[in-house]
Amino acid sequence: MMSSPRNLEYEQLWLNAHTDTRAAVYTFSSCITLADLNADGDFKLVVADLGTGSTNVKLKVYKGTSLHSETALLDVPTGVTSFYMDLNEPRMPAIAVASGSNIYIYKNMRPYFKFSLPSMDINPLEKDLWMQVRDEQIEHGVFIELLNNLRAEIGFSQMSTQSQHLLTLDSSNTSSFVQQNCKFPVKRQTVVTCMTTLKKALAEETAVSCLVVGTESSEILVLDPEAFTILEKIKLSDEDSTTLAVPAVLSACGLHAVEFRIVAACRDGSLRLARRGWTETKTLVQLPAQPVAMTISPDNASITIALMNQTLQCYSKKGKLQWMINLPAAACALCPVPLPHQSATLVAVSLNGGLLQLYNGRQLVDVIKAPQSVSGLVFGRFGQEENALIMFTVDGSLLVKILKRTAHFNLNGGGNTASVAPGAAQQIKLQIPKKTRLFLDQTMRERDNCVMMHRTFQRDLFQLRVDVARACVKALQSCNNPVSLEGAEPLKLSAQVLGLGPLFKMVISLQNISASSMIQGLGILFHFDDKMYSMDKPFINVPLLVPGLEYPFETMIRNISELALSDQVRVLVVKDGQSQPVLAAIINMPVCDLLGMV
Amino acid sequence: MGLLDKLVTLFGLRKQEVKVLVVGLNNSGKTTVLNHFKAEDDKSTEIVPTVGFNIEKFKNQNVGFTALDMSGQGRYRDLWEFYYKDCQGIIFVVDSSDRLRLAVVRHELDLLLQHPDVAGRALPILFLANKMDQRDALSSVKIAAGLGLDRILDKPWHICASNAVTGEGLEEGVTWFTQQVRQVGQPGNRPSRGGPLAAAK
Repeated sequence: MMSSPRNLEYEQLWLNAHTDTRAAVYTFSSCITLADLNADGDFKLVVADLGTGSTNVKLKVYKGTSLHSETALLDVPTGVTSFYMDLNEPRMPAIAVASGSNIYIYKNMRPYFKFSLPSMDINPLEKDLWMQVRDEQIEHGVFIELLNNLRAEIGFSQMSTQSQHLLTLDSSNTSSFVQQNCKFPVKRQTVVTCMTTLKKALAEETAVSCLVVGTESSEILVLDPEAFTILEKIKLSDEDSTTLAVPAVLSACGLHAVEFRIVAACRDGSLRLARRGWTETKTLVQLPAQPVAMTISPDNASITIALMNQTLQCYSKKGKLQWMINLPAAACALCPVPLPHQSATLVAVSLNGGLLQLYNGRQLVDVIKAPQSVSGLVFGRFGQEENALIMFTVDGSLLVKILKRTAHFNLNGGGNTASVAPGAAQQIKLQIPKKTRLFLDQTMRERDNCVMMHRTFQRDLFQLRVDVARACVKALQSCNNPVSLEGAEPLKLSAQVLGLGPLFKMVISLQNISASSMIQGLGILFHFDDKMYSMDKPFINVPLLVPGLEYPFETMIRNISELALSDQVRVLVVKDGQSQPVLAAIINMPVCDLLGMV
Repeated sequence: MGLLDKLVTLFGLRKQEVKVLVVGLNNSGKTTVLNHFKAEDDKSTEIVPTVGFNIEKFKNQNVGFTALDMSGQGRYRDLWEFYYKDCQGIIFVVDSSDRLRLAVVRHELDLLLQHPDVAGRALPILFLANKMDQRDALSSVKIAAGLGLDRILDKPWHICASNAVTGEGLEEGVTWFTQQVRQVGQPGNRPSRGGPLAAAK
């Protein structure tokens, strides 16, 4: 069964406030915002409905559960955000809708201002070509061929909008297109890829914010909220890399007038940082996969990012990987869930298939099930409710869940300690003792005499190696080692002495460690002081040894000395017709128990 | 003596004092409802979100009410339960135009009904489906169904649509409430768990 009691427990944290399966709103997280549109404390849900992708593109406003107003949009939006643009009373936020190369500003849900991205330089040759075709100096066919040549030279992305459009058309339509468009001035404009806001001078909730816009031409623009002038223009490039990166997701924190950080997750999978006063970004890290969605923690500026390789990763503000979790399915959307009453900020991640997971750091604290994959996800104040989670699924339904007042996420592990254990272990601070005088003196000495100490160490190390090598050679020469690898008899010997004495049992195991060959004609000979010990079998005949098997041989040995002394016994493995033993071992006999002798 | 007491109360000659709790989500109109019952010169013209709680006194049919106007904001709702023990009735104000938060209202009501100081007591509960003048307001029947009021079997309850700004529907509700409180408040009928009237001092 899928629903374990645990999952049931998860579900109880949220109230199902509203479900509208026929809302037919197709959108993404970047096109949803919650705003107090009428400055009456009743927060509305503003969502750009992408419709079919070309038609039915609308800006919809939900008041509570009902659709409050609808405004048709000219083009497919890439981002919707609400921000306070002035200090006028009542404090009504403006809605910014980024679409194509324009940003439309709505106030009180009426069109208020249109900001167009500045046009870019056009290749003089291209301009010239269009001039010539307008004045009918060149044929259309020649014109297109020349444009194609130019395209090969400077690249498609560097050409004007008209040329780009023309070059994508079939040959049958080109003539009419040229006819229609040659009268207009040639323009090259970039488009907005993503948008976010940045507080201007105050951190309050209703303080004036600047718009931060990422463009297809690899720039981040910071716009003044009142005059719509470009305050900052930051290039998404590095001194060490010449490639430009197009921002896909933007996040900003801080204040424009004081200090801010803008983090851009780019289409090439790089995470780039811009700060106040920078004209170029710095690459924080190259991500292992393309980004899906991102959020910056307001406390420590750490970046939590969902990637296309089914992982959720967290980076420190300096771009160091803090942790990484494998998600059970591909991530579709992500949003921060700030819980001031629990002084935590969770991250909600919606997964393909309809599962929604809430993480506190790397710890999974809650799971919500939606009937379909959630493509648009937003948490915040909706209506009078402060903790509302708004979800738009891929099939266009709207779901609103409200966090229960009594809901307490298990933020300290508890239930799933297994998953949190490594994290907790890393958190433990070591009790480092205070530095003593002795420690400092030692450190000083080490620092002053480092060369000498290194030399001494190297000399000793070589000495040790020489000693080892000598001992090894000696052991090999005297066959005094328990493993014999030479010749036809690769053998391993191990000896064991059992008992307390004076009577001991000696167990000698022999193992043929060769791959396939048999060994025969061996014998075990014990060499000992006959004043000290007596043995019932001083020589043992060894049968044929099969490779791999271990053969134990036992014999009894008695300490016959009057004194409670112990001696060494040498074990020699000998072979018929060979004067030198195959291998040898020395056994240090244990001191025998005096009580046993009495 | 006991008989005389009863008689006096029955004929409404003695003034009875009861303590009631006014609860509901924020922005449902609790303070506005109570403002309506105040004397003309005590009425405040501007209602602001209540912080913590306010104590208001008003009179209806010779019964003196001491109403605790609790704040409905999420962070103050924890306070409600501390006053359950000490009250003789509850007025639950619901914003009938806030369809989104009906689930929240139901959750708060469930918490209230399950509280040990409320469960098992025959506390009269008056539900006011407030803001009935709003265009998208739900009817009182729908609110009752949405909150599952038919589950409340051990307490007298009543729901009426109201408009706290004009006072519409409030009289009806409070008349019912006063009758209920009076019955419960009569010495013979008093449930054992209800402590002595704090207001009688």
